[in-house]
Amino acid sequence: MASIATSFEIDNTIEIPGRRAPLVTGNQTLGSVTEMVSSVAERPQPKIWYIAFAISFSMMVMFFSLIAYLIYMGVGIWGNMSPVFWAWPIVNFVFWVGIAHAGTLISAVLFLFRQNWRTSINRAAEAMTIFAVVCAGIFPGIHVGRAWLAFWLTPYPSLNLWMWPQFRSPLLWDVFAVSTYASVSLMFWYMGMIPDLATYRDRSKTKLRRLIYGILCLGWTGSTRHWMRYEKAYTILAALATPLVLSVHTVVSFDFAVSQLPGWHTTIFPPYFVAGAIFSGFAMVITLLVPVRKIYGLEHLITMRHLENMNKIILVTGSLVGLAYATEFFMAWYSFNGFESYTFINRAFGPYWWAYWIMVSCNVICPQLFWFKKLRTSPVLMVIISIFVNIGMWFERFVITVTSLSRDFLPSSWGYFRPTIFDMLMLAGSFGLFMTLFLLFCRFLPTIAMAEVKGVMSAHAHAEAHLAGDHGQHHH
Amino acid sequence: MIQIKNDESIRIPESWRSKAIPMIVVGIIAVGISFFLFRLVSDKDVMKLVSHSYLANLMFCMTIAIGAMFFVLVQYVVRSGWSATVRRLAEIISSVIPWLAMLFIPILVMLVLGRKDLYEWNASREELHGLAAEKTGYLNWWFFSLRSVIYLSIWSVIVTWVHRMSRRQDETGEVEITLKIQKYSGPMIVLFALSVSFAAFDWVMSLQADWYSTIFGVYMFAGGMVAFFATMMLLFDLLQRCGKLRDAVNVEHFHDMSKIMFGFNMFWAYCGFSQFMLYWYADIPEETSWFRTRIENGWDTLSYVLIAVHFIIPFLGLMSRHVRRNRVGVVFWCAWLLVAHWMDMVFMVMPNTHVPASGLLFIAHLIGTIGMVSIFAAFLILRASDVPLVAHRDPRLREALTYSNPIL
Amino acid sequence: MSEHHEKKDRSRPPQSQGWIAEYVDEHGLLEAARKVREAGYTKTDAFTPYPVHGIDHALGIRPTVLPFIVLVGGFTGLGTALLMQYWMNAVDYPYLISGKPLGSWPAFIPVTFELTVLFSAITTFLGSILLNRLPKYSNPVFTSPRFDRATDDRFFLYVDSSDRYFNKNSVQNLLSSTNPESLEEVMEDASSTVIPRAVWLSVLLLLVIASIPMAIILKMRNSNSPSPRWHVFFDMDFQPKKKPQQISTLFADGRAMRSPVLGTVARGQWEGNDAFYLGYDPAKLAAHAGRDRSRFVGASLAAAMQDPVGAPALGQPPTPDEEKSPESAIPAGSNVPAKSETSDEMDESSNAAEKPSDEPSPGDEATDGKVMVEETQTANDAASPSSGEPANPSQDGAALASAVPTLPFVTNIPMEIDAQVMELGKKKFEIYCSVCHGVGGDGDGLVARRAEEIAQSYWLPPTSLHADAVRSQPVGQVFYTISNGKGKMAGYGAVLTPKERWAVVLYVKALQRSRNASESDVPLEMQSKLSQSK
Repeated sequence: MASIATSFEIDNTIEIPGRRAPLVTGNQTLGSVTEMVSSVAERPQPKIWYIAFAISFSMMVMFFSLIAYLIYMGVGIWGNMSPVFWAWPIVNFVFWVGIAHAGTLISAVLFLFRQNWRTSINRAAEAMTIFAVVCAGIFPGIHVGRAWLAFWLTPYPSLNLWMWPQFRSPLLWDVFAVSTYASVSLMFWYMGMIPDLATYRDRSKTKLRRLIYGILCLGWTGSTRHWMRYEKAYTILAALATPLVLSVHTVVSFDFAVSQLPGWHTTIFPPYFVAGAIFSGFAMVITLLVPVRKIYGLEHLITMRHLENMNKIILVTGSLVGLAYATEFFMAWYSFNGFESYTFINRAFGPYWWAYWIMVSCNVICPQLFWFKKLRTSPVLMVIISIFVNIGMWFERFVITVTSLSRDFLPSSWGYFRPTIFDMLMLAGSFGLFMTLFLLFCRFLPTIAMAEVKGVMSAHAHAEAHLAGDHGQHHH
Repeated sequence: MIQIKNDESIRIPESWRSKAIPMIVVGIIAVGISFFLFRLVSDKDVMKLVSHSYLANLMFCMTIAIGAMFFVLVQYVVRSGWSATVRRLAEIISSVIPWLAMLFIPILVMLVLGRKDLYEWNASREELHGLAAEKTGYLNWWFFSLRSVIYLSIWSVIVTWVHRMSRRQDETGEVEITLKIQKYSGPMIVLFALSVSFAAFDWVMSLQADWYSTIFGVYMFAGGMVAFFATMMLLFDLLQRCGKLRDAVNVEHFHDMSKIMFGFNMFWAYCGFSQFMLYWYADIPEETSWFRTRIENGWDTLSYVLIAVHFIIPFLGLMSRHVRRNRVGVVFWCAWLLVAHWMDMVFMVMPNTHVPASGLLFIAHLIGTIGMVSIFAAFLILRASDVPLVAHRDPRLREALTYSNPIL
Repeated sequence: MSEHHEKKDRSRPPQSQGWIAEYVDEHGLLEAARKVREAGYTKTDAFTPYPVHGIDHALGIRPTVLPFIVLVGGFTGLGTALLMQYWMNAVDYPYLISGKPLGSWPAFIPVTFELTVLFSAITTFLGSILLNRLPKYSNPVFTSPRFDRATDDRFFLYVDSSDRYFNKNSVQNLLSSTNPESLEEVMEDASSTVIPRAVWLSVLLLLVIASIPMAIILKMRNSNSPSPRWHVFFDMDFQPKKKPQQISTLFADGRAMRSPVLGTVARGQWEGNDAFYLGYDPAKLAAHAGRDRSRFVGASLAAAMQDPVGAPALGQPPTPDEEKSPESAIPAGSNVPAKSETSDEMDESSNAAEKPSDEPSPGDEATDGKVMVEETQTANDAASPSSGEPANPSQDGAALASAVPTLPFVTNIPMEIDAQVMELGKKKFEIYCSVCHGVGGDGDGLVARRAEEIAQSYWLPPTSLHADAVRSQPVGQVFYTISNGKGKMAGYGAVLTPKERWAVVLYVKALQRSRNASESDVPLEMQSKLSQSK
């Protein structure tokens, strides 16, 4: 037994059936977990934080300046042209909404499946969800042309319009889905953070810190009655967020799939979009968390086991996406619908062949490397693969949006989409916004759900005690 | 500490074994009666009705077995601990697949004989018109049969291998066996996903040869999972009534299985809605034809009732944790969802006969179902004989016996 | 926990609130909790850094009602979404789109789902916070510095002094028997609960300042202003395009408004009746004797060839060869000198319809009106033989008058008329005609009044539609004038469909009649009202 125990300390990705590997390594105590997580926000930030913040902040400033310029000039500065009117902005929107999905999946779906390993990563992933939704929401907002009138999408009793939004339009469903998603994710995130904010409050050295964290944590004491309602509420929110996360990308897929455009109109779109979203989201979590755990020394909390599990999910969802590509291709042939089959052949061998093959190689072939344990437990490799996955998923949306649109039913209106410099800079700028928010999050808020990690440690101790057979001491 | 002993308490009741052969006989007789009743429904379309009814009933049993196979593979691949005591029964249900494959023979024989009662595309290119004529390269009797054999062989190999390995562990108690199945279940799931989707396209979707839907396989799979969990929980309840498995399967397992069943039922509704929504919204005649078939000839009642019976009512019913932890509640909803799955299979297959829905038609089909289910049950008994109903030396058994559902 | 002690008297020393014991692990806490419960205490609580399972049983805490509240919230969301969508799209603002029914239930499902989840989630979030009586920033347990570790790695058990069996000594003894790390008496929070004046004043000030922009926006959206709107965003108000009545350098005639190509009918607008488009009957015109006919036809062709861009509208009747500008594209027969200076010729014209017809075209301020008028004159001079040969006026003029008295204008509106057509005519008249002709047709439209006010030198007042000369025109001629313009008035053929033009004609005729109506014209049921008002 002792040898197994030591092997866990070295590598908790190995699990002997019947005995669960610890999710927190390095003989942590409750106090050491608090210390480790709190120090992220309490200690002065490392130099790399300032460098990263400077870069991403300037990219964010560029992003907002470009938005101002766009509003001044109009959407003509983009490459959107007949017949490709849904080009980069919508691709970016779908991309960012997809990124958002991993956070909710980790915090809600894995919670319902009692996957305790989620506790070390859920907070950062949820934060990522919210920041990605912020980035996502901007793009359709500025794509509507008159961005300052985007509030017309909400059903409010208008004094001068005297009309209501069109609820039969999938684009309006999107407004509801994305805003509901943003609100619920925010509540879920904040709710989960309350106990940890209380920890920050109680560790504060300065009065100002104590006041701010004290206000934010609502006066949390850790009372058992509070915990009980809190856990119930958290569970209910998880149960609500699970179908919600499915619905959001489903509704996004409806934007495309309810139309009659070949390549968009196919019934596998809803689950296939959801799988793709989770796929890209997990890749983004990997991209962010591998450096974060390194920089802040959180290797004992975000262990290799966590990363490996996420890589397995990337493998599963990547294969599902591949299966969906195959099904689509098969059905385009099987249907003997000339438009459908043309669209798919055009995707693979038409003018956008390069985008298609980037997509296939990054999304289908790349994650297959994770079949090998060596590859899915190597931090450097997994970051590289996850970046490729994100590139591939961006191109997937590009392929879907642009190839289908560029081939209209009327051959005379066929066209080729060319992005402008503004398209590209705004995509880069949205990454700046995302990274700025994420860096601020690391700086000021609890990056890891301490209370949940402690709960999992306690549960693991119970299980180990059972294994040792000394369960007479405590009760269940 | 609760221990699972390898004794009579984890075997099927002795009295069941002798019932297997009579059940097969009853099953064949019931199918015969349904044949006779279908004659009364429509003398002209009798072969059409019988073959469609047979396919619907076979799919009813097959989807349950396929669901069991998926459940077993997933339990291994995610290193699940809670399910160690319930997994064996799922293995047994899935191991019926090679035997169910035998029941496919009548369908293949009909195809070879060139009959078009079931699959309208089983004709030469000249006889067909429209898109169905274009598809003769893919939808023809020999290629179809070949594919069916491939799907059934893949599944048979998977379930037999997993079951055999798991049985070996009963004897040796080797931990490595768990690791081995764990290792191979990933690739097996990939094979499973591909073959199930395509099998659904071939066996059910091609009934209407010119219609297509990419989500169809997922939809069939989701319905099958719901039916599988319902079947498994009903079987556990029945076995426990006979005094078996009382220690091995407790309220926590029922609670968990109900939750997953509830989840899959929502997923079923999600797939069904996605399919309907996209075709309703785009309103392209060649795509809406499938739904049109299902609201004509009196089938509309079934279609609308299915939404309530399969989704809305059980959704509200299973929402509460208290229902999921109450044995009567769980058994009631399992039985309800099995009926719903039966209706779903009718909805998938029977309207393609274009024979008006009638009470007699449903009765005839129901008798056919009773026949098929009793054959299925006989297979189960035969497969379960001499097999412990719990993998009693599974290394994760302790976790399965001690865990509890935290909140939901 | 301490709701009973909210009233604080600052003069007395802090009161004891209860006892709190500290433990290093959850097992110690659980044991102690069980002991405390067995001793009969109910006003107890535990404080832990993470939820300790089993402590609620140990302390005898009942399950929460939150799920039921959430269920109510969810159903509220469901109902709200369905009712809202149905009411907005099928009842209050119904319009058809993509062939979907007004109440499209499948299309309402996504939003219904989202709102159900949103309402449930908000209920869950607020419900759990409110049921926990949070936020609550003052809590007696915070008075102990040791308690800071309750969110870190320590476990606390608390017995409130308001418990039925509370006795300071027995509680202290009981708790010490559970081997706590520390045991303390919790004193009430003596610090003031009054929010400092500066804080709430500044919050109030912030709120007031924050509401200013909103108030300005609300005010601006609900009031009128004579000055043009203030463009924060351009809202596409300034676009490189031409609006009606504007000038353009692109076309020879300087007009931005273009007429349809000669001899064309827009798709779906052909009614199979020439008179419907022309206002006169071309068949009758064709029946005219040779010289006139060929003159009409030839002029029409020449005009089309010389002025291909500004080609006259469909049904543009023949014009004299020399004519170029559309203003003068008026048949010679019907249009004898249209200028006040040549008023001598007015009498000569047998056409009752004629009168000085220098209709101003409202949008054309920039165009030099004088030049136009002169052009018209020359054109007319050349066109009409009579103007060139005053020596022989009676003969020639009379011949012309008898041969082509006027175009064969229709006298009845060639389409079915009803109240709706009248409504349409009123609407279009008020949009297009009333700016010059006035709402009542008296020639006192806003543009005309403004021109008078600023004494625009080249301004010619618009015709009163109640002048006898106009009143006696057949409907076809009014239609013809609307379509092709007259004098300075531009044609509206490109702006109004034939049906709309006929509707305007109908309305003009109704206006004219309204000035000359007898009491018997009023419908019977309205007559009594009329007499009453007298």
